[in-house]
Amino acid sequence: MRYLIGIGTYMGLDDSIGLRIAEEIAARGLDRGFRAIELPGNLLDLLHYFGPDTADMLVIDSARMGLAPGEYRFFSPDDVVTRKSLDGISTHEGDLMKVFEFARELGVAVPPVTLMGIEPAEIAPEMGLSAVLEARFDEYLAAAAGFFGTA
Amino acid sequence: MLQNVDIDIHHLTRVEGHGNIVVNVTDGTIETCEWQVPENPRFFEAMVRGRHYSEVARITSRICGICAVGHTLASVTATEAALGIEVTPQTRTLRTILKHAENFDSHVLHVYILVAPDLFGAQSVFPLIPTHGEVVVRALKLKRLGHEWGSLIGGRTTHPVTVVPGGFTSLPSAADLVALRERLLDAVPDLEATVETILSVADQLPAFDRPTEYMAVKEDGQYGLFTGSVETILADGDRARYDIEDYRSITNEFMLPQSTAKHTKNRLRSYAAGALARVNVNYDQLHPEAKKVAEALGLTPVCTNPYMNSVAQVVECVHSVYESVRLIDELLAEGIVEEGLVQPTRFGSGVSAVEVPRGILYHDYSYDENGLCTRANCIIPTNQNHGNIQADFEELVPQLLESGASEDDMALKLSMLVRAYDPCISCSTHYLDVTFVR
Repeated sequence: MRYLIGIGTYMGLDDSIGLRIAEEIAARGLDRGFRAIELPGNLLDLLHYFGPDTADMLVIDSARMGLAPGEYRFFSPDDVVTRKSLDGISTHEGDLMKVFEFARELGVAVPPVTLMGIEPAEIAPEMGLSAVLEARFDEYLAAAAGFFGTA
Repeated sequence: MLQNVDIDIHHLTRVEGHGNIVVNVTDGTIETCEWQVPENPRFFEAMVRGRHYSEVARITSRICGICAVGHTLASVTATEAALGIEVTPQTRTLRTILKHAENFDSHVLHVYILVAPDLFGAQSVFPLIPTHGEVVVRALKLKRLGHEWGSLIGGRTTHPVTVVPGGFTSLPSAADLVALRERLLDAVPDLEATVETILSVADQLPAFDRPTEYMAVKEDGQYGLFTGSVETILADGDRARYDIEDYRSITNEFMLPQSTAKHTKNRLRSYAAGALARVNVNYDQLHPEAKKVAEALGLTPVCTNPYMNSVAQVVECVHSVYESVRLIDELLAEGIVEEGLVQPTRFGSGVSAVEVPRGILYHDYSYDENGLCTRANCIIPTNQNHGNIQADFEELVPQLLESGASEDDMALKLSMLVRAYDPCISCSTHYLDVTFVR
């Protein structure tokens, strides 16, 4: 199985971009040959998709990468180090990189993972997306579906 | 006894959402002792206005990524009450199994990932990997079971898609249910090991009793999860029963300056909802295997130690597994039947009360003659517990001072107290913040 997993929170403005892409991919029927899943809330649930039957995974999340707002980039978890400082791992105080670290320390086999990071214009306690990301939304959909060859 | 204390835990970790603990003692006088919730309102009740009844649960499910099943079930149940829809026994049974799945999933997460580090003297679950790796692996195994158990019935666990007003859009096959039954029974050794783990660290749970009022859903003949009525029990065993439709006069919401979240009260200045409240109210309806675990863990009603909420969650995990096996057997005996959705018979107002992991979740809607929502009200369980946490603080802090506890110990005990309630305050951000290294 191939997975597209959208991460984020609907209440975080551009932090919802991963969820919205996963939703829209499924709504438009672009999820051919892979499953599109929105994963808000508990990042640890990502571990449930790490298994021998998972061929590969594209995880989409908003990411502060130092790019211009709205720019996106595909990369491997090994390409980056996190700048977040967390006490540990929790459900609402999450960091995707911590989940990968957690899995590795536990000896859980992590399938091939590609991250699609989208530079947020604004992260704030609001519903919706910033105008910058909204304007490029179709571009993100095409890029994400294109990863699986279904654009 | 400490004369001066300055505890300011800004955004307590290992809880879901943002809450602060502030305690100031000067020259032996407690000046501030507060549980503060500084989060924003989210206006979901406004978002569903004007939406068709078929859309409302899809929206309210997004209130929470942990209790998405609960918000879905509360929503469709209130909508069905408003629309005069009486679902079939098969639908009701499948929804009960789904509810058990969510409670199990959330409880495993809370007990193992959020609470266990305190009991093992660790800052988080990470340091437990080298020292108690088998416990962490077991936690993930059980959590995965909860996730897949819910996905089978709800289509997926987070924001289930098969649960709609009037029934289900798709049903699990008999073979699916047989397979789930086997997996549930296969989990029993892991549950037994869970009990052993909790027993091994039970002495780390603070001995603190503060009688309060415990509120839970009550259903005739079974452990209350949704529909029926609401019952509260006091420490002396005095019970009071209420109609769900009277939820406003049971919860009596009010605001305090220290918190942006609403507080509630009923017979006393505050009440508790959640696993401990459910066990206190519904102890007699627990599955016999769950009762055995409760006895082994020293949980007997009416238990007034709030730290025991985590123990009550373990008891409920056992109950959920055995009850679901029983319900699956019932379904298999009757045979799974394809059923159409039950259609509305009227358009009016309706209320639901559903037991989600942290307590009673109330949803209340009104619909116009076109099936469009005209009014909504949701009261989440975490808000119902804020007042009780505050009342606990006010009794615990003087006790800790009297006992000569250090400031660090006080901070730990207060943090553990909040975590015991398993508060789910609201969603915070998860965005990545990274530097490229290659």
